Amino acid sequence: MSAEVLVFDILGAVAVLAAAGVVLARKPVHSALSLVVSFVNVAAIYVILRAEFLAAAQIIVYTGAILVLVLFVIMLVHPEDLPEFHGGRPIQRVLALILGLVLLGEVLAAILTRTVVGQPGPWSEQAVQAVGGNVQALGQVLYSGYVLPIQATALLLLVATIGALVLARPDSPRVRRVARDTATISLGHPRGADGANGVELPALPPVAGDRIKPETGERELVMAKSGDDFLDQPVWGERRRS
Amino acid sequence: MNWSAFISSYIFAFIVLNVMLGLMAYMTYIERKVMAAMQDRVGPNRTGPFGLLQPIADGVKLLAKEDIVPKNADRLVFLIAPLISFVLAPLSAAVIPFGGTITVFGHDVNLYVADINVAVLYVLALGGMGVYGIILGGYASGNRYSLLGALRSAAQVVSYELVLGLSLVGIFILSGSLSLVEILNAQQQPLTPFGGAIQIPNWYILSQPLGFVLFLIAAVAETNRAPFDLPEAESELIGGFHTEYSGFRFSFFFLAEYINMIVVSLMAATLFLGGIDGPIADGVWWLAAKAALFLLFYIWLRTTLPRFRYDQLMGLAWKVLLPLAVINVALTGLIRLWGLGLL
Repeated sequence: MSAEVLVFDILGAVAVLAAAGVVLARKPVHSALSLVVSFVNVAAIYVILRAEFLAAAQIIVYTGAILVLVLFVIMLVHPEDLPEFHGGRPIQRVLALILGLVLLGEVLAAILTRTVVGQPGPWSEQAVQAVGGNVQALGQVLYSGYVLPIQATALLLLVATIGALVLARPDSPRVRRVARDTATISLGHPRGADGANGVELPALPPVAGDRIKPETGERELVMAKSGDDFLDQPVWGERRRS
Repeated sequence: MNWSAFISSYIFAFIVLNVMLGLMAYMTYIERKVMAAMQDRVGPNRTGPFGLLQPIADGVKLLAKEDIVPKNADRLVFLIAPLISFVLAPLSAAVIPFGGTITVFGHDVNLYVADINVAVLYVLALGGMGVYGIILGGYASGNRYSLLGALRSAAQVVSYELVLGLSLVGIFILSGSLSLVEILNAQQQPLTPFGGAIQIPNWYILSQPLGFVLFLIAAVAETNRAPFDLPEAESELIGGFHTEYSGFRFSFFFLAEYINMIVVSLMAATLFLGGIDGPIADGVWWLAAKAALFLLFYIWLRTTLPRFRYDQLMGLAWKVLLPLAVINVALTGLIRLWGLGLL
């Protein structure tokens, strides 16, 4: 038992240190990396508590998917475009302090008003063994007593996904149809026709005779010497904010 | 704590790890030889008889090379990224059953390192973690091509891991377990269709053909092998995430890729082809033979198919494979309910 407590102490200490690293790191990627370390340590604590399924789900969902997407976004952003994390902004600092203290108070209140010692639930070790293990027990509970909350959560996530799709939709259907009907500018490079946010820029009125019907696909090709004739920004090279 | 079981599984883990590393080295040799044969070339044949010492020569060469850290690199992350890839790769082999329980010197020795009740999820979780090696390596190189490789890898792995996980749900429904040992046991009961006239093994490739195909495709993408090797596409990204790596750090990525291939092949053999189950005598040789089949399939794919275009890759995952995987889950669930008489 003491070995387990020792392992728990080590894992907890590393998790807390890594969590501190998230807010102290100068580079956003280092913050994300610290968060990975923290999550993995928390998952290891779940394993000590014999909640293997929760540990695996934590790793797969949080470190394997969500943080990868966070890193994806961080890597796409130029470092110079990020707001200054450790600079001035006194109002934000004071606000952060107040909100942090409020959050700390909430967590403390939650911890202090509850006790971990209480009536043991129906899932004793024997009961879990009887249904075949942790995963089976969890599955039975989730899909018998908690069917409605699970369905509600699923519905909520579906709504959120559809909402994100609607928000990210570039244009009204009419504009998109117009964009689809215009020709592709072929420069031997796909960027010739791509605008911001993945919208295809409509081609400018072409000079007669330089459109060709490609053998495959339905869009006509506009042959151009230089993409600069069709776009506001230079086709080659970095896209800089003006 | 049961110390003798702990020590025996520790020793077994040591053996498995070393066998994996040795296999990995010779996997590169076999891949080069088979590719050469497929492309009407000779392949490595100068180092030792039939070129058999080639992997050792490669290893020595890579060890002796200078370890270059670019000036632009994020030094700490650059140095640990290959280690993340390499350390996580062989861990998945810990849950693969290489046999039942045998008795050695009066001790019961399990021919698997650990039988955890979420073994399949454990493998998926390690796959999800392994991508950090690639993403961080690409980011830390301080090179645009590497960064592009890292971005591609992030999107690819998130998409294909979804397919990989969903393709296995059918097996979970049929076997009622996430443990590889129990999934293996479930496959060893013979099926007797047509009133017992013939006996066929209950391998899940027979009851889950769609899941098998989806798993195979997603596994190739998950291990970054051709035709899904977009993160390192040498013709457009000059090697992608490992452009800036040299010497032994480069070979760590290389080793991780081959170990991942071996582990995924062992997984596919265990999950869908009955693992150690086979005619005449069950044993680890059947698992090896089935895994070798998958490894040859990998090489065959690499020599045959051109690389996907990036939008095709994502389109395939989200518009074709994912709906098919969901349909597979729904169908399997309905049939299972019908089989239990609940529908």
